[in-house]
Amino acid sequence: MRLLIPVLLLAFQLGAIVHARFVPTRYFCWAPYDTQTDYTATAIVNGRPLTAREFQKRYRRPQHGFDNRSPQHVIDMLQQAEEKHAARGDQTTIVVNYRVNGKDPREWHWPRAE
Amino acid sequence: MNPRPPVASSTTPSWNPLKTTGTDLPVNLAILVKVLAIVVLIVNHVRILPDPWLSFIPWIDRLPAEPFQRTLQAVFVISAVAIVFNRRLRMFSTILGATILLAVVSSKAYYGNNKTFCGLMFLLAGLYKPGGPPFLRWQLAITYFGAGLNKAMDADWHSGVFFENWAVHRLHQSVYITLDAILPPMVLAKFMCWSTIVTELATVPAILIPSLNYWAVLANIFFQCSLCLFTGTTFTLFFYSMTACSLAFVTWPDAPMRVFYDSDRRLFVSLRRFFESWDVDGRFLWTDNGARGTLSLQAGDRRYSGFQAARMIVLYNPVTWFVLAASIAVLEDVPGPAVLCRRVIVGTALVLLMPPLAYLSDLCFPRRDPERRAMVRTVES
Repeated sequence: MRLLIPVLLLAFQLGAIVHARFVPTRYFCWAPYDTQTDYTATAIVNGRPLTAREFQKRYRRPQHGFDNRSPQHVIDMLQQAEEKHAARGDQTTIVVNYRVNGKDPREWHWPRAE
Repeated sequence: MNPRPPVASSTTPSWNPLKTTGTDLPVNLAILVKVLAIVVLIVNHVRILPDPWLSFIPWIDRLPAEPFQRTLQAVFVISAVAIVFNRRLRMFSTILGATILLAVVSSKAYYGNNKTFCGLMFLLAGLYKPGGPPFLRWQLAITYFGAGLNKAMDADWHSGVFFENWAVHRLHQSVYITLDAILPPMVLAKFMCWSTIVTELATVPAILIPSLNYWAVLANIFFQCSLCLFTGTTFTLFFYSMTACSLAFVTWPDAPMRVFYDSDRRLFVSLRRFFESWDVDGRFLWTDNGARGTLSLQAGDRRYSGFQAARMIVLYNPVTWFVLAASIAVLEDVPGPAVLCRRVIVGTALVLLMPPLAYLSDLCFPRRDPERRAMVRTVES
């Protein structure tokens, strides 16, 4: 076990580094502080806009803020949280305006257009 | 002749948190895990350990939230305290590392490279096998490889856009902004981006090739300290974990190290009194060699003299690392001048403990070391 566990952990990380070349996320591939995302998000749940405090509680991140990794990490958290809430019957729309490394603004919507 | 027993003969671990003898880990790894345990306790990291939320392993989300979080917190604190007080370091390092990694995979809100790396340091140190593969070093190599590769493949790092935005708009780094205004547009940003990429990628072979390990340690310490000085932050646990990982490259001599000094000189007597006052492990055996004007240290088969000897006495004393880590960690959430104080501590340690100052001091104030002079004469002849 004292050999197997470290070998598996290191192999997993090497796999994650290779995997990161093909996806927008950067989990477990050692890309800290490689991208700066600043964003502003609004969420309307069952017809009612969330306050900043409600937003923080629901998505565990501020309504306006920064992320030091891929912007996809912010999007992942919002999307996956909403997928869970949707299973409970919530009707939610989210709009995220964000910029990556200070460049042109981008927008992300939930639910995504088919 | 030798009033102190060899350090390695101490088989019972002490409850004194400043001591590192008698544990079930080699001294360097004992210092590594104790430094990190001290840090996680001081910064009160336990308060941000999560309940399951958008976990990377789906079944964790189904576990009851509060019992899960409370269990993590209890195991975390018990393990960290046990490590600080030298109780079964190997076992508690493994448990603490596994706890942090479980927290990392159980919540995307908690996930972070710094926590992952810290957890891996504890876990890999706990799983240490004498004579086994150097997993901690390989972990550092993978980390630098991943970080360097990701930047090398990113257009915003090629052009300097990342650094310009980060330093100017996020950090408001005054030194950078001043220099940036003097230089042509994006020159400084490109330089910072490319020097980071080159440093990170060049450190990888230095870690993996044993003869280059000395340079790997210097590069790692210098790079992480530079980041801390530039940003004023420790990136939660990243600064502590990355710098502590350098200890995985160092072997502490088993026997007490002999320090030769001239007891006729008050300066050396004062130095001896000062250094002995915090040599809680009894790692140094001070011996009057009667030679005037010399201070030298015999550490295993390495001999240091003059300022280098003084520097190595500080570096080989585990208390140095505990005090440094604790003094930086205690500032973590302190409002006011914490950033300045952190920079002063890191900058001072970097200047005093890295090789150049001692090297230059020895050049400027040549010592009268008979053995060294004899050696020089031999080489010259």
